[in-house]
Amino acid sequence: MKHSVKEDSGSLVVGFEGDVDLQNSPQARKVLLEAVGRRQPVLVDLSSVSYIDSSGIACLVESLQAARKAGTAFALVAVSDSALRVLQLARLDTVFTIYGSLADGLAQAG
Amino acid sequence: MTSEDTAPPPAPEGGELIADHLELLAEMGRDFAASLDIDDTVRRALARITRYVDAEGGAVFLLDDDGTQLRCTACVGATDITGLVLGADQGIVGRSVQNNTGEIVRDVSKDPAFYSKVDKQTGFTTRSILCAPMSVQDQRLGAIELVNKRDPGALFDETDLRVLEVLSTSAALALLNARMAEALVEQERVRREIELAAEIQRSLLPAPRPLPFPVHGLNVPARLVSGDFYDFFPLSDGRIAFNLGDVSGKGMNAALLMAKTASLYRCLGKSVGEPGRLLAIINDEICETATRGMFVTMVGGVYDPATGTVRLANAGHEPPLVHAAAGGFTALAAEAPPLGIVPAAGGEGLPETELRLDGGTLYVFTDGVTEGLRADGDRLAVDGFKDHIRAHAGQPTDERLQGVVAPLNPGAGTLHDDITVLAVDDSGPAKERAPAAPAAAAEERSERLLDIRVPARADRLKMIRAAVSQAALQCGCSDAVARDLVIAVDEACQNVIRHAYGGESDSEMVLEIRRAEGKIELLLRDFAETIDTAAVRPRDLGDLRPGGLGTHFIREVMDEVDFLPPPAEGGNLLKMAKRIG
Repeated sequence: MKHSVKEDSGSLVVGFEGDVDLQNSPQARKVLLEAVGRRQPVLVDLSSVSYIDSSGIACLVESLQAARKAGTAFALVAVSDSALRVLQLARLDTVFTIYGSLADGLAQAG
Repeated sequence: MTSEDTAPPPAPEGGELIADHLELLAEMGRDFAASLDIDDTVRRALARITRYVDAEGGAVFLLDDDGTQLRCTACVGATDITGLVLGADQGIVGRSVQNNTGEIVRDVSKDPAFYSKVDKQTGFTTRSILCAPMSVQDQRLGAIELVNKRDPGALFDETDLRVLEVLSTSAALALLNARMAEALVEQERVRREIELAAEIQRSLLPAPRPLPFPVHGLNVPARLVSGDFYDFFPLSDGRIAFNLGDVSGKGMNAALLMAKTASLYRCLGKSVGEPGRLLAIINDEICETATRGMFVTMVGGVYDPATGTVRLANAGHEPPLVHAAAGGFTALAAEAPPLGIVPAAGGEGLPETELRLDGGTLYVFTDGVTEGLRADGDRLAVDGFKDHIRAHAGQPTDERLQGVVAPLNPGAGTLHDDITVLAVDDSGPAKERAPAAPAAAAEERSERLLDIRVPARADRLKMIRAAVSQAALQCGCSDAVARDLVIAVDEACQNVIRHAYGGESDSEMVLEIRRAEGKIELLLRDFAETIDTAAVRPRDLGDLRPGGLGTHFIREVMDEVDFLPPPAEGGNLLKMAKRIG
């Protein structure tokens, strides 16, 4: 798994690439919680995620809860098919705000 | 001797003549025997005694239930003191009761125990008192008291006292008899009401339907009323709804909650086709109104004879068993807590399991079945039940249930718990579905696609996922199915790493994938301590917490998920299967 954090139009864009699984979800968790801690809108780009497991989903949920507590926006953008399947299985596809593309997300979250 | 000497004593006013006290006793005995109205009988006895002894008045005092008070329950002549309450040791009557002896007080003004208040209030003058206790053996009931001889010059004598003592003893016996009769009548009334309740309960069970109807049930209550129930009814689309439940506790309150739950299910079951959602609605309903501490374990399901598919939800109930046509058993563990404990969050239904019976039979039963077996040996109760099912496997469904239950119920009154079993038998419908060439599928050999053995480490998961994906695609799974299988295997491996081994380990896990009879089967084995499979439950999705999702994913994407009995050398063996094609 690779990750990136970029600032774009006042939002933080956190991108993951590859597999977010048991082996690297602790790292994903750290990256996400740090981003939320910066009190800017956070957009998580899941377009290049080839696989995400329950531990990866758990990181997203924990970060969403932290963002709600801090009163900052937190959304997923460009969710890949395999990530979307897992979100659906967890019935979380309606809990998260999901934008079809990064551009949409930036326009709405900014 | 003059004629006056031999004449009987003057007749008391309005009364008959009583020649001697033997005759009086006989009269009273007849009265007591003929009447169960105790107050009336005591009053009549008192009147006879008062007349016979030629007293001005008489009163009956009875002890209350806890023996602390004496209450005047009947009164003749003199002044009416019915209802007067004295302490149990108050007055001459109290003393007589306490000492359990009769008394003659010829001049009450010289007896400090005399209770003078009544005379003061009524203006009556009590001169003398004759009093005898009403008691049977050591049981004290009260006393009879007579006041003043009618002839102002006469005094009560020893003969009067003896007569009164004999009469009060026989009055006491009659009183006891009447009280016992009253208790019996009450007991009988309660028994009839319970019988009526039992009759109504039986009417809540569905009428048996003749074969080839595939669903049959059996209930043997341990008492008149039962906390168990089952039901089945056809839906308009040809599917058959069924349920079976067990209310905590026994007796009337359990029976009432059973009636409520069964009625709710029957009523809602015709419009709500998803058993998981139906149980969630009933759960909320019971939570709102049920008595504290009572709950219901229940399995609700829908069976489709056209496909052999069963959809079921299990709320904390004994795992139902599927007896496959080929012979094996699969247990379907509960995935939700019993009904009536916590309201469901966010309107989510209970988790559902969907399975294909493929000519097999689903057995849903209460713990009365397995506990009934526990008593007769140290074998696992469920195994004993399986033996009984196997022994009767060839019989028609209704007879088979009778046969399976018979050994549990050796004779009247020996049952400790209600026995309730329901069977959904797909063997008949399966024949109709596939009249031709049924052998082909069964003959298909199982083919091993993959067999890998790796240490239980997170960094091996990627490789496992790739292997599973390859194997799934190779045996004809669509991309979507292959992706789901990857999710299930990955989560199952995570469970092994995190829960079975308690963290990453160099101990191994073994994954075998094979294709058999139109299914892809995945077997995951570890060598950790055998876990309590009942504790492996998917989390409540209404609860927005990180973690605990894996088991839910597995159950969501796979058709069958079962922990098989651990191999001889220990560890755990998880079998997952999904239909392909």
